Amino acid sequence: MAAGGGGSGDPLAPAGVPCAFSPHSQAYFALASTDGHLRVWETASNRLHQEYVPSAHLSGTCTCLAWAPARLQAKESPQRKKRKSEAVGMSNQTDLLALGTAVGSILLYSTVKGELHSKLISGGHDNRVNCIQWHQDSGCLYSCSDDKHIVEWNVQTCKVKCKWKGDNSSVSSLCISPDGKMLLSAGRTIKLWVLETKEVYRHFTGHATPVSSLMFTTIRPPNESQPFDGITGLYFLSGAVHDRLLNVWQVRSENKEKSAVMSFTVTDEPVYIDLTLSENKEEPVKLAVVCRDGQVHLFEHILNGYCKKPLTSNCTIQIATPGKGKKSTPKPIPILAAGFCSDKMSLLLVYGSWFQPTIERVALNSREPHMCLVRDISNCWAPKVETAITKVRTPVINSEAKVLVPGIPGHHAAIKPAPPQTEQVESKRKSGGNEVSIEERLGAMDIDTHKKGKDDLQTNSFPVLLTQGLESNDFEMLNKVLQTRNLNLIKKTVLRMPLHTVIPLLQELTKRLQGHPNSAVLMVQWLKCVLTVHASYLSTLPDLVPQLGTLYQLMESRVKTFQKLSHLHGKLILLITQVTASEKTKETTSPGQQAKLVYEEVLDGALQTPKGCTQCSGIVLPLGNLAGTISTQGMGTRDDAPEGKGHRGRPAAGVFRARGSALDTPRGQKRGDVRTKGCWEV
Amino acid sequence: MAGYKPVAIQTYPILGEKITQDTLYWNNYKTPVQIKEFGAVSKVDFSPQPPYNYAVTASSRIHIYGRYSQEPIKTFSRFKDTAYCATFRQDGRLLVAGSEDGGVQLFDISGRAPLRQFEGHTKAVHTVDFTADKYHVVSGADDYTVKLWDIPNSKEILTFKEHSDYVRCGCASKLNPDLFITGSYDHTVKMFDARTNESVLSVEHGQPVESVLLFPSGGLLVSAGGRYVKVWDMLKGGQLLVSLKNHHKTVTCLCLSSSGQRLLSGSLDRKVKVYSTASYKVVHSFDYAASILSLALAHEDETIVVGMTNGILSVKHRKSEAKKESLPRRRRPAYRTFIKGKNYMKQRDDILINRPTKKHLELYDRDLKHFRISKALDRVLEPTCAIKTPEITVSIIKELNRRGVLANALAGRDEKEISRVLNFLIRNLSQPRFAPVLINAAEIIIDIYLPVIGQSPVVDKKFLLLQGLVEKEIDYQRELLETLGMMDMLFATMRGKEGTSVLEHTSDGFPENKKIES
Repeated sequence: MAAGGGGSGDPLAPAGVPCAFSPHSQAYFALASTDGHLRVWETASNRLHQEYVPSAHLSGTCTCLAWAPARLQAKESPQRKKRKSEAVGMSNQTDLLALGTAVGSILLYSTVKGELHSKLISGGHDNRVNCIQWHQDSGCLYSCSDDKHIVEWNVQTCKVKCKWKGDNSSVSSLCISPDGKMLLSAGRTIKLWVLETKEVYRHFTGHATPVSSLMFTTIRPPNESQPFDGITGLYFLSGAVHDRLLNVWQVRSENKEKSAVMSFTVTDEPVYIDLTLSENKEEPVKLAVVCRDGQVHLFEHILNGYCKKPLTSNCTIQIATPGKGKKSTPKPIPILAAGFCSDKMSLLLVYGSWFQPTIERVALNSREPHMCLVRDISNCWAPKVETAITKVRTPVINSEAKVLVPGIPGHHAAIKPAPPQTEQVESKRKSGGNEVSIEERLGAMDIDTHKKGKDDLQTNSFPVLLTQGLESNDFEMLNKVLQTRNLNLIKKTVLRMPLHTVIPLLQELTKRLQGHPNSAVLMVQWLKCVLTVHASYLSTLPDLVPQLGTLYQLMESRVKTFQKLSHLHGKLILLITQVTASEKTKETTSPGQQAKLVYEEVLDGALQTPKGCTQCSGIVLPLGNLAGTISTQGMGTRDDAPEGKGHRGRPAAGVFRARGSALDTPRGQKRGDVRTKGCWEV
Repeated sequence: MAGYKPVAIQTYPILGEKITQDTLYWNNYKTPVQIKEFGAVSKVDFSPQPPYNYAVTASSRIHIYGRYSQEPIKTFSRFKDTAYCATFRQDGRLLVAGSEDGGVQLFDISGRAPLRQFEGHTKAVHTVDFTADKYHVVSGADDYTVKLWDIPNSKEILTFKEHSDYVRCGCASKLNPDLFITGSYDHTVKMFDARTNESVLSVEHGQPVESVLLFPSGGLLVSAGGRYVKVWDMLKGGQLLVSLKNHHKTVTCLCLSSSGQRLLSGSLDRKVKVYSTASYKVVHSFDYAASILSLALAHEDETIVVGMTNGILSVKHRKSEAKKESLPRRRRPAYRTFIKGKNYMKQRDDILINRPTKKHLELYDRDLKHFRISKALDRVLEPTCAIKTPEITVSIIKELNRRGVLANALAGRDEKEISRVLNFLIRNLSQPRFAPVLINAAEIIIDIYLPVIGQSPVVDKKFLLLQGLVEKEIDYQRELLETLGMMDMLFATMRGKEGTSVLEHTSDGFPENKKIES
């Protein structure tokens, strides 16, 4: 319901869904959506690469994820990686993805193997994991949690190396310094730890709300005159929940200065931040911030000391649907994540829905302050996922386990069971047969199945929606129900609707019957259906006639013109057939003169046909011929000159107005002449 | 000599929505100002004293906005966690708010740091209010307790542990300093008396209670929860008076209009409904863009403020009536001018000749008066008239037809003009009130222009459109005729049952007339 789709009920949880690009080449984009699925997308082809559902995906949803740092020797080819992955070693880590969950466990998922690599549980967190960071080179993993602790893990042994209390409240974010010797942690305040001794080196003020992101922006100090000890003089960036400012801090040699050096302002809470590190003094830091409102703000700034005013973005990128025609206005498409490509000149944008995002590479043009990309994502919803999936794994569920599904009982949410072919994959790997069929799984859900037995209710009729619409008099909701063309659906809905809504529905239909025939025809279908289905109920109503009197009168008054209208329709049909016939004859007569001759023969024949002949061609052709011979200039401007002249001057116009101008006596003539008729005033 | 009689324009009642006093009153607001807050807006409260500022609670902040400012004039942000239910005291100088961490904080409007902090609740405090004597604060929390605090020495006076679930709403009586009510997720609303240490009244709402409200007189209590709004009579010991179910999602907030005549309820279904407190019928309804969490009305209903789940605060100001007055008025002749000579008493042999009164004629009437019939028709076919007031156009066509000159007026038109006429026909032919006149006109047009059909593709296309429309209308009417048959059957069964008394109601009078004749 809420815009961000942040999932949990905690208002201070960061908005958005955990997601990350794979390091260095950004070949993959991992996304853990709110339904507990981990999906890995290929950024180049925008295809689903892998999908993985942790066994405890509903109780312990994924709260954060991080790719292990890639190593150069393992990046050569996926084939080799696969072979290497058999042997346990350092290179094994290259494709690991660490997932933190809401219950405190950390899962390591291997994208090469397509399955769970290991679990980090023992001695770890007992509350929601907020952030995970891999150490660049030591094969360590750092995690922080709502339980106030920071844990250092050894990934090889899956054991805790060290665990210490990081803050008085929950620790929400972590970042490791470029040289790998320091660690930044943040709850509301930011602390800088020395990793070797686990002592606090510096304090920073932080934000009013939990810090959601921390990042180092430079790897070298701004002035190189002093000897560099690895940390002093570096800048880092922090963003917080519900905060529209991103603060930049500098690590100083003295411990006095605690406030932010400068800040960037964005339009909404930051959801995803990516930046290019500036490696020397002159190179500006490029920053891409995805906000909760779905926009990307780009900043480009050389960091050198204080700046009092918050900086605004150099460029804003938005994506919208094309507004086709007058009715559909362009709708914004939210951008979910953005990452700089390795050339620093283009940006990978992930947009659309969490369940099927579109990934696109956009070249940056820093001169334009505002970019709005128009993309049509409606066709992206086609279920091409089935073919694209390479490896899909579903959790193994015991038959005695009861699966609780989110959603209100009774209000049948559309629950899509896992596609059947996944079971084949499963069975190839595991011959053990405690597999549960979909039917059994559905049976285990808290949905009364006997109702479901009468073929799927929820899609074929909407009595609930209709009743709600009638009760609250919601125009849009009623439109959705009543403007259907499906007769079967109408019948089913009317059959299932509660009796007390019959009269309100009839009154609503009365209102809608007055409109344009296009929409009113649909309403008649409803009316007929109600009358046939509920005839016996209606006939028992004591006040039926006063209830339906207006409806009856309305219909009768409308039908009164039926005869005249049919008459007019006849004329119009004749007219239209003439037009089409004349066009046809024009086409046939156009090439050459010989055709004309043939045409006249036909004309003669047609003229000789008896008058009673009702064939169209007989009557049409002479008129068509007439029209054909008159030059099109006949439809020219109406001249306001006295009529006699005009006629003689322009024979073609004369034909056009032959009948009209003869009748139009009062116009051209003097007023006196008209008055003599004496038929105007009393 | 008789003067020219202007064409009588037939007016038709507007179909569909009825205009009542209420729709006029509640539609008389300007387009809403939208303010983006940091999180879902959980509470809006107006200061009871001028200048009627309002406090908006969203996320961990409380913003105070003025009557016209769109920027907060003051912000209280010293909350460690989400703040709830910022409420003004009756004198508008103190503000109390609950918090997610279980604290209750009291602020001075002019200050920044809290004046008092009441510690004692162990879980989030979702409701706080001042009692009528101004010196106590009532709070309800998620730890199922309701507490009464003393402001001067910031002590807890009483604790009530009667609820068995989260206490999420409450309010204090405006008249009695010892009475207050709370609503809880255990489906009950309880009235507490500070003098007795226990609840004096408890009513069962049936759903988790989201909001409660006391009428200013204190006799009636309104509770909202689930899809229901219920009104209880406190004086009769908690008798249920009315149960309203007009929303299709949970009702989250209640509010009384300043006159006390109207009750407003906001709901997650994105609507605000206005009920009359006399009949308890919905008299008006507003639509909003997102689910509504909080709602407040300013003094004299000057402003409607609605807070939504997506953090947007929508502020509607009443249109000021004084603005029309301030426009420079055209100077009218003095009163003397009008009565001049009117009081002249007729003498015996005088013959009184009245000055002929000048009649104001519409432009099309002037044209008609001078027999410029084509021009009159052109004038009413101008887009401004034809779209806004098609009944005038139709009346003129009817008048021309009555005079027998409709054919003349329609004749002699070029492509552009005739397509304008056809456009009008296409737009209005299907309306039953215009149909008889326009069908006639359409036939005349066909008669006139038949010889030149096929010369202009534009006009041909218009005719095609018209034909399509007529075809659809005929199909529709055929369907209607069938339905009429069905209804006749139904009515016939009624007649068999109830005798002739029903017949008078059917105004069609077709079947029964025959019967009488026979």
